[in-house]
Amino acid sequence: MNIDMELDARGLNCPLPILRAKKSIAQLASGQVLKITATDPGSVKDIESFCKQTGNELLQSGDENGEFVFLLKKH
Amino acid sequence: MAKRLKANERRASILAVAKLLFADKGYNGVAVDEIARRLGVSPAVLYQHFSSKEALYEEVLNHISAQRESYIEAALNGPDDFGSVLGRMALVFANKMAADSDYLRMEMQAALEDAPMAQRLFENRWKSFTDFIEFYIGELSQNGQLSHINPRIASLMYQGALREALYAKVILKSERYKSFSLTELIKLITQFFLQSIGYKAS
Repeated sequence: MNIDMELDARGLNCPLPILRAKKSIAQLASGQVLKITATDPGSVKDIESFCKQTGNELLQSGDENGEFVFLLKKH
Repeated sequence: MAKRLKANERRASILAVAKLLFADKGYNGVAVDEIARRLGVSPAVLYQHFSSKEALYEEVLNHISAQRESYIEAALNGPDDFGSVLGRMALVFANKMAADSDYLRMEMQAALEDAPMAQRLFENRWKSFTDFIEFYIGELSQNGQLSHINPRIASLMYQGALREALYAKVILKSERYKSFSLTELIKLITQFFLQSIGYKAS
């Protein structure tokens, strides 16, 4: 999959990953994909809520080596 | 004789009473006998659910430290500059704390007794708050939007002011702040803090 932007939110607690995600996604065009890497376990629920509230699509959510990785497609 | 409760109900009632007593007197100030007496059961009943006072205390702390504020609404609903988000987060945080005054008392008791679990309370309830302040002050200072301020000190100052407001309004019911609601007080503190660090919304 083509990733258009990456956001490193490791070490950040809620609501920082969300605020960073909002800022990053604002720079993308519709249909482009943002990859977020986070370490806060709360980010799983937070990113889901973020997508629900903003209408962006959560393409993928999973953990890799203790880090949480999300792929978001801008609506 | 105490009413017979199902195991999970009994466990919940033990935790509720223990929380109240630990909040009032701290870990060292409460004996298992006292908790049992309040519940109207024998200490043996308590030991069926918790192997020791320490295990019970840990479970109470686990329970409250697992609660976590959601700042999603605060982050997304409104302007997203540092000052605006901080103001909304502070209100979420203060209202949640005010709704559970036992938590505040318990946190203070745990810190005074240097309980190892006190660190966890901080990590779970205050840290996302202080991290947020430190992160933005660091970033705004770097961008030249704030004069050089130590993010850690600023964050601790703000946290101290919030704690004072919470203790005064929620626990002590202080006369000093009688004319302000908690919300008004938190807004004033945030405004004062932002002015003090020289913050201007961009």
